[in-house]
Amino acid sequence: MIMDRLARALDDRLRLSPLTRRALAKVFPDHWSFMLGEIALYSFVALVLTGVYLTLFFDPSSADRVYQGSYAPLDGTTTSAAYASTVRLSWDVRAGLLIRQTHHWAALIFVAAILVHLVRIFFTGAFRKPRETNWLVGVTMLMLALANGFTGYSLPDDLLSGLGLRIIVSVVESIPLVGSWLVFLGLGGEFPSDEMIPRMFVSHVLLVPALLVALVSLHLAMIVRQKHAQFPGPGRTEHNVVGSRLYPSYALRSLALFAWVLAVLFALGGLVQINPIWLYGPSAPDQATSPAQPDWYVAWGDGALRLFPPWEIHVAGHLVPAPFFPGVVLGGVTFLALYAWPFLERWCTGDCRAHQLLDRPRDHPVRTGVGVMALTFFGVLVVAAGDDIIARLLRVPVYDVLYVLRVLVLVLPVLAGALAFLLARALRRGDAARLGELTRADLRAAGRRARVGEARAVDESELPARDRPGQRIELWPDGGVWRWRYRDEPAGVTLLHHRAVLTEREAADSARLAYPGVDHVAVPGPPPPPPPGRVRTALRRWGNVALGVTLLVAALRQRRNRHPGDDGDGTGSR
Amino acid sequence: MVVALAAGPAALAAPAPTAPPETAALPETSALPVPAAPPETAAPPVPAVSPGASATSAEPSASAGSGPGRELYWQKCASCHGDQGRGSQRGPSLVGVGAASVDFQVGTGRMPVPDEVQQPRRRAEPVFSADEIAALVEHVTSFGGGGPDIPRVTEGSLGTGRELFAANCAPCHGGTGAGAALTNGWNAPPLYEATPVQVAEAIRVGPGLMPVFPSQVLTDQQVSDLAAYVQRLRSERLDRGGNPLGRLGPLAEGLAAWVVALGLLVAAARWLGRRAGE
Repeated sequence: MIMDRLARALDDRLRLSPLTRRALAKVFPDHWSFMLGEIALYSFVALVLTGVYLTLFFDPSSADRVYQGSYAPLDGTTTSAAYASTVRLSWDVRAGLLIRQTHHWAALIFVAAILVHLVRIFFTGAFRKPRETNWLVGVTMLMLALANGFTGYSLPDDLLSGLGLRIIVSVVESIPLVGSWLVFLGLGGEFPSDEMIPRMFVSHVLLVPALLVALVSLHLAMIVRQKHAQFPGPGRTEHNVVGSRLYPSYALRSLALFAWVLAVLFALGGLVQINPIWLYGPSAPDQATSPAQPDWYVAWGDGALRLFPPWEIHVAGHLVPAPFFPGVVLGGVTFLALYAWPFLERWCTGDCRAHQLLDRPRDHPVRTGVGVMALTFFGVLVVAAGDDIIARLLRVPVYDVLYVLRVLVLVLPVLAGALAFLLARALRRGDAARLGELTRADLRAAGRRARVGEARAVDESELPARDRPGQRIELWPDGGVWRWRYRDEPAGVTLLHHRAVLTEREAADSARLAYPGVDHVAVPGPPPPPPPGRVRTALRRWGNVALGVTLLVAALRQRRNRHPGDDGDGTGSR
Repeated sequence: MVVALAAGPAALAAPAPTAPPETAALPETSALPVPAAPPETAAPPVPAVSPGASATSAEPSASAGSGPGRELYWQKCASCHGDQGRGSQRGPSLVGVGAASVDFQVGTGRMPVPDEVQQPRRRAEPVFSADEIAALVEHVTSFGGGGPDIPRVTEGSLGTGRELFAANCAPCHGGTGAGAALTNGWNAPPLYEATPVQVAEAIRVGPGLMPVFPSQVLTDQQVSDLAAYVQRLRSERLDRGGNPLGRLGPLAEGLAAWVVALGLLVAAARWLGRRAGE
């Protein structure tokens, strides 16, 4: 009642109902891979929630502070305020460690989900026109996520993150001419400076998160404006979106995913230890710990630094130190390539049309091959960051591991990329539906040169369907409004339009927009409801059986009770 | 991390005078603080024993000491280390290694080894009983040459121990005590099994690649502090956050994030998406 009145009051003043009606009726595709980005979004929500709690107790300062608390080996030790407050947060603040660990796990999952989402977008060609702008926004968010992850990892001022910070500072210093100036500008002095932690804190909790919130909003606004892309399928064209409405169906599913994300993150935060900074000890420039790695999403940089040979090159009298190439050049090239990919691909294929239907990875063997190659390359680099752990687990000399990885980082990506290219081509040319069904003949055919006219074959399904048998649009009046649906009888597909319109003409127009060229007919009266789904039928059947059995059992029991009861009554009365 | 390893010796409070890092090429079995040994030789450093002596050395000859220690030594040690402990091609000299070294090597189960290995591994249970180890220690010290005694560990301060550990031990054994890889296939072992006395012995003796820390570098009290902190590192209570994932650091955590967490979440998304079709 109150909600109803509140809604009415708001609508009177802000005229929200047309907007809300449109928003609630927005259609989301049902394919699961469209929810990967949401995992990242919900991890970000978890990050903000837990991060706010942490700021209540964290002291972003490198001033001396005596830690006094329940962690005995550090009790009475003078460390930086940042470190002391993080140890206090972990040992003496109620739920502090749970929240801190959940925050850290959420950061790992955040970047991982972004990456998986990016991989989905890449391999399905969802970055093509008109979605290049959203790709740029997404790549920027990935970059910001990496930066914020790194500052967050460094804030506690522990020994392990101190080593990582030292390495990053050295990488920046390795930039010829401007390196040391950049470091001075960023840190406000020599490493480790007093300004370091407060500056990282401001960027970690204010600047970058604010940018991320703005970009997330932009990302979602563009999706709403441009509508979702979708996989090809019956009833799906370049002009419509097939899926579930936001309310109630998709909203509930999305909330369920939110609950899943929170559950997994907090379970990890409570059960699996992450970054035990009390064990590492406070950061000190003259100390080190081993094995030392950064969080996984920066590990590719660490791996590259480990693998790159110690070449020092002189250019015009200036030394270019070895960390410049794996540190600065690789990182720069990686993100430049990510930014430029949609435009590079358009330039290479000459395909300037807008695409609303997604590719399958097999549809573009070259893109698939390049993607797998890049993923393998960065995968090997991440593994290389753990060369000392591998050496220890395998009990082999660490330099042997390093040499093997140096070869692998060059060879494996090429092999994996070529294999992916061939498999994609075999799948595309042959008639195998999935990888497991590929035959040797398919693979042999993939090795040959492309046939003429193959590229055309993809485009045909994207043309408007004209006079296809069995396809039609049905319109009918439903109370005061009109509805329409698409039916493809041979494929057994019935798709209901997500919104009702006021006139028959409007319904016909919107149907023509979604399915150009399909004939439409007016149907008198509402059509019969669709047959119930498999699960619902089974549930109903089992429910009926269970009800029958219960009634039978109840009846039998009552009878049995009545017989001794009758006797008892009988004796009593006599 | 290579950077960390390179920084290791530099981070010591002071370089150990008797064993500069170059002597690291010697196998751990030597437990060598012997300054007379040439640095590069991995072969037995004592030239006094002829190469063929090891084959016959199991026979009792001139004895230095007596009792069960000598018996055990002849049975288990002499074939490599020589009947007078002067070493052979198969094992280094034991003259002057000191009681602490023998107690450490045998007490942790690293010795005896069935065949030559670069770095003997700790056994869960030592091969000999405590009495037998004591007898062996007595017999080997009777070869002469001095060397560090078995240290007496007293009560130590955790705070000082932590600081000393961070400065001297963490570069190789890791801040968490989980151990790490060194050069040439050597490993700094994890410290979770070590008793306080074994920690103190290792500090004084410097087995394998480990530098020696004599009393000029670390006083007896500081060694006790370190032993106390290492005992503390073993305790489960330090893993307050839950499963420590082997205390291997961020890459193990990243693996868990990908395999467990993201795996679960993607499975959840698939499940939710699949249900949408019904």
